[in-house]
Amino acid sequence: MPDTAAEVRQQIREVLVGVFGGPSFVSQLQDAGSLREAGVPSTALVALLVAMEDAFGFQWDDDVRPEVLRSIDSLAGHVLALRN
Amino acid sequence: MIVESAAPRGAAPLMSMETSRVAPPHGPAEQFAAGRRAAAAALAAAGSAGRTVERARDGRPLFPQGFAGSISHTGRLAVALVVPGAEAVGVDIETAAVTPRMAAFVLREQERRLLLAPAGPYTARDLFAAKEAAFKALNCIGTLGEFLFWQIHLSRPEGVLTATYRGESVPVWIHPQADLSSAVAIRR
Repeated sequence: MPDTAAEVRQQIREVLVGVFGGPSFVSQLQDAGSLREAGVPSTALVALLVAMEDAFGFQWDDDVRPEVLRSIDSLAGHVLALRN
Repeated sequence: MIVESAAPRGAAPLMSMETSRVAPPHGPAEQFAAGRRAAAAALAAAGSAGRTVERARDGRPLFPQGFAGSISHTGRLAVALVVPGAEAVGVDIETAAVTPRMAAFVLREQERRLLLAPAGPYTARDLFAAKEAAFKALNCIGTLGEFLFWQIHLSRPEGVLTATYRGESVPVWIHPQADLSSAVAIRR
């Protein structure tokens, strides 16, 4: 299990590469940038969230706040907060 | 690929829906441009003098006053819907696969049991599109705060597919096709 924010961000990027079937789009994403504004479609976002459950061993709450899903940074922060 | 409005003419007699192909290399910039082209065409067909759709800070398209509209796109096609005089509208098109895990994530147990095939009439992709279209419409109301599209509840009272979130509701029409699901939500 990755322990640092950098390691979690990297693992999220690897999950995204799997969702998009390659690294070309994912390599253009900024850690702090909005995934939606970068062009991540809703189907890919949901595929990412489902894959994160498997990769990090947790389940998303039904009432998760939208800002948690905004960026790679915020997703990584959520994973680390759950661990702590 | 043909996109038709799922909504019956009686639901919004003046609605207009237009499409535009996404140019290569089919990236976010090309998808955005195709969406704006479709929106300009839909506004023209609806009789709007204004044809420009600005982008709000949160990314929502800002249609001219009196011409409620919505835009959706895939990697290849953009569609825009305009309904003059409506309070809010939403449109969504989906071509991507929605896996059983994704369906379980975005659909509640009751939605899967009553609406999802084979017990119900819709595919997971249809219902995904329905929630997205409803989200766009309900998000325009501006009183619901921030929420996520899958937090919307779908039901079918009296045979009309209806999306509800925190007491606000909007009817949704789905147009299922083999290679594309499209959905329209119109709040008059």
